[in-house]
Amino acid sequence: MSELSTLARPYAEAVFKIAVESKSTSDWSEMLEFLSAVMQDKEMVAIVRNPKVSQEQLTTLIMDICQEQVKEQSASFVKLLVQNERLILAPQISELFEAYKAEHEGYVDVELTSAYALTKEEQKKFATTLKKQLGKDVKITTSIDKSLLGGYIAKAGDKVIDGSVKGQLQQLAKKL
Amino acid sequence: MQLNPSEISDLIKKKIENFDVSVEAHTEGTVVSITDGIITVHGLSEAMQGEMLEFPGNTFGMALNLERDSVGVVMLGAYQHISEGDTVKCTGKILEVPVGEALLGRVVDGLGNPIDGKGAVETTETSPVEKIAPGVIARQSVDQPVQLGLKSIDSMIPVGRGQRELIIGDRQTGKTAIAIDAIINQKGTGVKCIYVAIGQKRSSVANVVRKLEEHDALAHTIIVTATASEAAALQFIAPYTGCSMGEFFRDKGEDALIIYDDLTKQAWAYRQMSLLLRRPPGREAYPGDVFYIHSRLLERASRINAAEVEKLTGGKVKGKTGSLTALPIIETQGGDVSAFVPTNVISITDGQIFLESDLFNSGIRPAVNAGLSVSRVGGAAQTKIIKKLGGGIRLDLAQYRELAAFAQFASDLDESTRKQIERGQRVTELMKQDQYSPMSVAEMGVSLHAANEGFLDDLDVAKVRDFEAALQSYMKSEAADLMQKINDTGDYGDEIKKGIQSAIETFIKTSSW
Repeated sequence: MSELSTLARPYAEAVFKIAVESKSTSDWSEMLEFLSAVMQDKEMVAIVRNPKVSQEQLTTLIMDICQEQVKEQSASFVKLLVQNERLILAPQISELFEAYKAEHEGYVDVELTSAYALTKEEQKKFATTLKKQLGKDVKITTSIDKSLLGGYIAKAGDKVIDGSVKGQLQQLAKKL
Repeated sequence: MQLNPSEISDLIKKKIENFDVSVEAHTEGTVVSITDGIITVHGLSEAMQGEMLEFPGNTFGMALNLERDSVGVVMLGAYQHISEGDTVKCTGKILEVPVGEALLGRVVDGLGNPIDGKGAVETTETSPVEKIAPGVIARQSVDQPVQLGLKSIDSMIPVGRGQRELIIGDRQTGKTAIAIDAIINQKGTGVKCIYVAIGQKRSSVANVVRKLEEHDALAHTIIVTATASEAAALQFIAPYTGCSMGEFFRDKGEDALIIYDDLTKQAWAYRQMSLLLRRPPGREAYPGDVFYIHSRLLERASRINAAEVEKLTGGKVKGKTGSLTALPIIETQGGDVSAFVPTNVISITDGQIFLESDLFNSGIRPAVNAGLSVSRVGGAAQTKIIKKLGGGIRLDLAQYRELAAFAQFASDLDESTRKQIERGQRVTELMKQDQYSPMSVAEMGVSLHAANEGFLDDLDVAKVRDFEAALQSYMKSEAADLMQKINDTGDYGDEIKKGIQSAIETFIKTSSW
């Protein structure tokens, strides 16, 4: 996993630069997301890994699947991936691209997990406090996990802010 | 001890009341791969080199390889319950171990946890395992002796407080025996001892503990063990752990003696870790920094001046210097001191005690090779009496070695050569000493005086040790005052010289052996 993202980094960087220059980051983002979804399909992975499938066959196949999703530049990007035998990296490239995009646009993706569903107001409150803490705009995606018992866990990349009852109980257990 | 149930619940109640409900912020990562004690973790972008990382199930690892997208972690202990995808937390702390007086008399593992079944270690102080050695300004030169209690070593290869003296030799040459005798001899001197056992058999460690207990020497000793069955990371860490425990005493103006038994095994453990972490191998497959792991460890053994002690204790201890003396042990293969690790450690230390299998097998125990063993700084620290008498012994043995080789072929030798050979034989015999029977300065002084003044020359070689034993017991009973005086002052003035001379003369006239 870690090695894959090391390999994917130069591709993501290059694509991101092109996207910024042509001011089409969201188009690229959609396209990469689509491509990564395709590459997560098991049968697709098997085909890509199959040495008997030639590069031309693979290119036509991918182009057929993507159809309208790929335009001029993105088509040549896909061809490049096929040529370099790096199609398998699509999910990592997409992930890194999103990270670059977030950094460029000055926001962070925050995964907010709570024990109970949050109201809109509560979400807003979280957004403002998290913005203060992280020093950036936040994009919140919420999910519910009953096992937290109460409170919340906010995840922004590697950083985790644990304000859940479960986490506190674990801390207490360690102290005893 | 009986535990009162209400006491416990009170304690727990207090802890819960004082529990600070805080929001915990940390960095997280996920386990990617697990191989032979090395875990690769994705994420953890803020991990520090050497940081403790928390795994599920209250287990810890140490971050060693920091790469762009991943961190290479060595596990400190069992890792069988960890699986791919588990979350790993940063703790923000470099590895720390408990230190303090409470550790004396205890047996602990590489992380400072007690393993002797005597309950928890009652200490609140901790210290990081990796610390920078004292600076140039903080240091003072070595000028006080550490008596190891062995005639051959204290007279010819003296060790001073704050010195690093290597004990090197093949397997089964009595390296550990010297170390144990040194610990036993520190009883009542105020020197605290730390014995670090690395990669040894558990039975050997148990033996050492038992022997120290038998000789009443465990009370001033801390034993740190990372036995052969423990994780390589623990075997690597154990010497640093012991060193931190010793530095605690040094930094408060006391003297401590630490024994690393042995650093060859530590280097092996480090080699294993490094190869598994895919660091490039160098000579003998050791990684490039194998010199540094030993140099930074041994550099921490030092003597610090009174000003530094005052600074470190916040002015509580004044006018006292502190020292940590190190006796690292290195095991050679077939007497090869030019292998990688032995040469490294020889160059780092302030001298070496070289033990030889041939000497050991021919009954010369301790099997010290007087020619190859040196002490680069200990001479300045020697007690006066031992210094004056030891010079003669060294010379006698050196001349004997030179002559002994060719004397085997010559049938008739001139008078002076024959005398030198005979003196050498007797001195060699006198240098033998039983295990677990360290000698005081006065006892050594008497034996060395007897050799220097030629009292042994008329004896049969086989009778030398009997003579010495009888002489020692005579001195103990008949000249106790004189012995006490020598032990107190360490002087070798005319008065003491005459005292010893006359005591030995009367002994020879009146006793048999």
